[in-house]
Amino acid sequence: MSRSLATGNHAAGHALALAGEANRNARGCCAGAYPITPQTEIIEYLSGFPFSKGRIVLVESEHSAMGVCIGAALSGARTFTASSSNGLAYMTENIFAAGYYRLPTVMIAVNRTLGPPWNIWVDQGDSLMMRDAAWMQFYCDSHQDLQDTVLMAFRVAEDKRVMLPVIVAMDGFVTSHTQMVVDEPTQEQVDAFLPECVIPHKLKHDHPSTFGGMTWPSETEHHRWEIQHSMENAMTVLEEARDEFEKIFGRRPAGALEAFETEDAETIFIACNTMARTLRNVVIERRKKGEKIGMIRSKLFRPFPRKELLEAIGPAKRVAVLDRNHSPGSGGIFWQEVAATLSHDPDMLLQDYLVGLGGGDVTPENINAIIDDMSERTTASDPEWKDDTA
Amino acid sequence: MMEITICGRGGQGGVTLAKIIASAYFLKGKYVQAFGVYAAERSGAPIQAFARVDDNEITNHNQVQNPDYLIVLDRTLIVPGMDATLKNGGSIIVNTPDDNTDYKELFPGREVATIDATSIAVSNGLGTRTVPIVNTTMAGAVARVLDLSLMDLLAGLEHLNFAGTNKTCAREAYKMVRSQKIPGEIVKPPEVTSKPRVADLFDDDVGGMPKIKTGSWATRKPERRQLTPPCNHVCPAGNDVQGFVAAVGKENYDKALGIILETSPLPAICGRVCPAPCMETCNRAEYDTSVNVREIERAAAELGVRTAPNRSSRQEKVAVVGSGPAGLSTAYQLAKLGYPVSLYEAGDELGGVMRTGIPAYRLPRDVLDEEIDYILQYDIAPHTGCQLRREDMLRLSREYQAVFVATGLQNVSDLDLGNSASAEPVQGLHFLEQVRQGNQRLDGQRVIVIGGGNTAMDAARSALRIGASEVRVVYRRTRSEMPAIHEEIEQALEEGIILDELVAPVSLTDSDEGPLLTCQGMVLGPPDASGRPRPVADTSPEARFNLRCDLVILALGQSHDISILPEGSVIKEGEALLGLSGAPFFMGGDFATNAGTVSAAIGCGVRAARHIHRTLSGEDLFPPPEEPVASAEAIKFQRFEHLPPEKVNTLSPAERRRCFDEVHLGFQAGPDGTGAVGEALRCLSCGVCNSCDRCLEYCPEGILRQGSEEEGYYFDLEYCKGCGVCMTACPRGAIYMTNL
Repeated sequence: MSRSLATGNHAAGHALALAGEANRNARGCCAGAYPITPQTEIIEYLSGFPFSKGRIVLVESEHSAMGVCIGAALSGARTFTASSSNGLAYMTENIFAAGYYRLPTVMIAVNRTLGPPWNIWVDQGDSLMMRDAAWMQFYCDSHQDLQDTVLMAFRVAEDKRVMLPVIVAMDGFVTSHTQMVVDEPTQEQVDAFLPECVIPHKLKHDHPSTFGGMTWPSETEHHRWEIQHSMENAMTVLEEARDEFEKIFGRRPAGALEAFETEDAETIFIACNTMARTLRNVVIERRKKGEKIGMIRSKLFRPFPRKELLEAIGPAKRVAVLDRNHSPGSGGIFWQEVAATLSHDPDMLLQDYLVGLGGGDVTPENINAIIDDMSERTTASDPEWKDDTA
Repeated sequence: MMEITICGRGGQGGVTLAKIIASAYFLKGKYVQAFGVYAAERSGAPIQAFARVDDNEITNHNQVQNPDYLIVLDRTLIVPGMDATLKNGGSIIVNTPDDNTDYKELFPGREVATIDATSIAVSNGLGTRTVPIVNTTMAGAVARVLDLSLMDLLAGLEHLNFAGTNKTCAREAYKMVRSQKIPGEIVKPPEVTSKPRVADLFDDDVGGMPKIKTGSWATRKPERRQLTPPCNHVCPAGNDVQGFVAAVGKENYDKALGIILETSPLPAICGRVCPAPCMETCNRAEYDTSVNVREIERAAAELGVRTAPNRSSRQEKVAVVGSGPAGLSTAYQLAKLGYPVSLYEAGDELGGVMRTGIPAYRLPRDVLDEEIDYILQYDIAPHTGCQLRREDMLRLSREYQAVFVATGLQNVSDLDLGNSASAEPVQGLHFLEQVRQGNQRLDGQRVIVIGGGNTAMDAARSALRIGASEVRVVYRRTRSEMPAIHEEIEQALEEGIILDELVAPVSLTDSDEGPLLTCQGMVLGPPDASGRPRPVADTSPEARFNLRCDLVILALGQSHDISILPEGSVIKEGEALLGLSGAPFFMGGDFATNAGTVSAAIGCGVRAARHIHRTLSGEDLFPPPEEPVASAEAIKFQRFEHLPPEKVNTLSPAERRRCFDEVHLGFQAGPDGTGAVGEALRCLSCGVCNSCDRCLEYCPEGILRQGSEEEGYYFDLEYCKGCGVCMTACPRGAIYMTNL
């Protein structure tokens, strides 16, 4: 372990590289790579890494980048890639293929607003677009969380009880291009943490098979059920991975979510990524003034941790969700998930706030304004926009 | 926590400065954060970067709102109230050559440190005056203000792999930065009034040019230029080849012909007999095949209307001796300039070697007559049948204000092949003249032509046309060394002429079966003075052999006859002979240069006329030095479609070998010129803007405009950021970038 300065992109790229290198005694590693702002530095980092057994395949589009991962994973390699925004949109068809083929690829999504209008700054709409692609999704709030989660992602994805791909998301620029302090793992630690990648259904010379052919409805339904079941298994596997991670690295990464000051809280605010860290700072300040508020940092989006969320909310009857994403015609996407989770409770006041859309700087003042608004509420309304823009 | 805001311009290294500061503190065990506000900005655009330093983990990720330090990398960014968000007790560090007291009014109550980082950086080679890279220099000043030791600062720089000059600059700034408290009260931040409204999609006022004059961000600007197309560069006649081809491409045959007539009065002739070096150097040959310029010129001559001649307007008279292409060209150019010209010709008709030397199947007589008739519409008095001698020339020099001599090559090279009573060798030029006059038939005869030049080819092909049963061309070297136009050799072989390469004639003798030419086989040796391999005799016994023949034609080259000039004359193209009383003499054409082509003679005439005009009037009409040539490297071939050349009609070998009908018949697409237009549109217009609009379409800023036809494109430099996309988009190298 060594303490170093790194941008979010380099922290993530380094973790991908160590994980890929850790499979050198098995089938090695492979990435399909295509650049797009703001994730290009990850691809650059990977391209410069001296893998013992691995290939970074430069392709002509994101669609093909994921195609390379699919092919390499089907041949048993540890696979990974990275993309953003419209690149993810272009990759979508193959993202679904990787999910439903059950291939444990790890993809860094550096969150960037989907255009038009053209915009390079953070907004989680791009990775949330993959909600139904049978990928697990983690949202990271810091450089350290990001690097740790990338390593965790391989461990969970490649576990036979799960065998699903993972998106690890970070904020474009706010995380990706900001230089901060991280404790970087060593190759030996990663070797110890990640077992050899074994893909049970990989293509085999002596046992030819095909994937993705036509199935009857009953068979398709069964595959879907299997995936749902694996998503549920992921919660167990994730906890095991946290234990193992703590043993090797000496710190315990966050699990499905992180609750802060929720025990006696009357109002609970939910947010993800760096915005959650700003929220946490504001909660600390307002707690000092005696306000009974708490916060939950949402990290795992798929599978959505309903049970863990209900536990964390506890008896509180006022919940606000801060969404840096927007589903036109509905509202924030995390809000929809929370609403579904809380739908049994008629006494719950649940309010959505749209904040920092299109990469707007989210300041403590913005968060304070939301908390002020929430404290005066007696009923929920349609999702509130941070600015009086509407 | 310490928070720092950096204001600079894209390219100055503001984000890296934040990282240098962060690195220096990181190495001291602090938690740090460094980031910039990224956007799709370019060099020179205002940017911001931030750094945070703390003893504890940093958990806020928003931009710095109330910095402890404000660092300004470019003083032009300073606006009143800029320090409003600075914490109380916060400091400002400015890159400026001014003494910090200049900021009394701007930053009252503040601690202001100043450093002339631009001078330090630029004098050490970091960036330019326009975009100085000041980050490492400013790091020195900032470190001093932050109370970082010089050692900590240098460690931070090394952590980011900075060395050498960057460290030197940082050290210098560390020493030189000066800080001063400005008296006065700190200006309170203004109350935030309402934010400007963001336009709705359907607002009428959305769109249009941005109000930001982005031209100030540029470090370079585009400029247009006109390079010399390679065809123009090599044209011996000096024709604006690209110009007339472009005019034909627009179906403007009158304009095309007008462009040619500026330099050449013989487009119909050159459109048939020119060896066309323009086609050999055509850049399009690098892509598919060269543009068929020769046929386009012929089409322009056929389809265009010639401009009406002017009358003479000057007193000075000029005599031109010799009416070959050089004489005609000189007379024409002088007449156009207003000089009355007398044109002297030894033969009965004008045209010189074009009439006597080039057979009709290459140059029909009516084409020659038409072009000469046009030239004679100018104030040119022809005098045929005038075989001038030295004393006549001296007379001319008294009667005229200038004399131009282009009598061609009158002496023919001979070869002694011994005595043969029955088959005396004849000279090629003499033979061609006999053929032209229709005085000769060679039915059933075997003919041997000795030589490898155009006369040899013309004699051989003419011999075939007047009935010879077998024609051989005997040449000492190989086909690739033959000076004849390659197409002529090709066509001769198509017609059935036999080429004996590496064969030298030895003697011509009589035998019972008729004359015998004894020949010696040769091999190629080391190069001679002309650069061509020297033929040497093959020593093997079978290398000597006999060829049966009825007629031997010698075509071994010609030389000039200078006996008409005053004794001691030196021949040099265009140069006046010194030491003569009377008018100056000028020389040109094959007589002076032995260049051997019509187009070279035309070019000679153009230059001679300019020499004569300058001598007589003092006016210099020579063009300025040529622009650089647009080489193939300047052309972006991938921007062009492959287009097959337009087909041309030719008589088949079977049709042409017994008659003197013209072999070349112009473009297949017919006499309406469509073939010529199609072919002209293949021209890449190398180095010359032809308003293809690519730059206009590709300019990402929309600042390229189409002016009037003469003006062409122009750049709105108030908004041009100097990205260079127009230069990259231009397929013909007509736009380049200059540094500001």
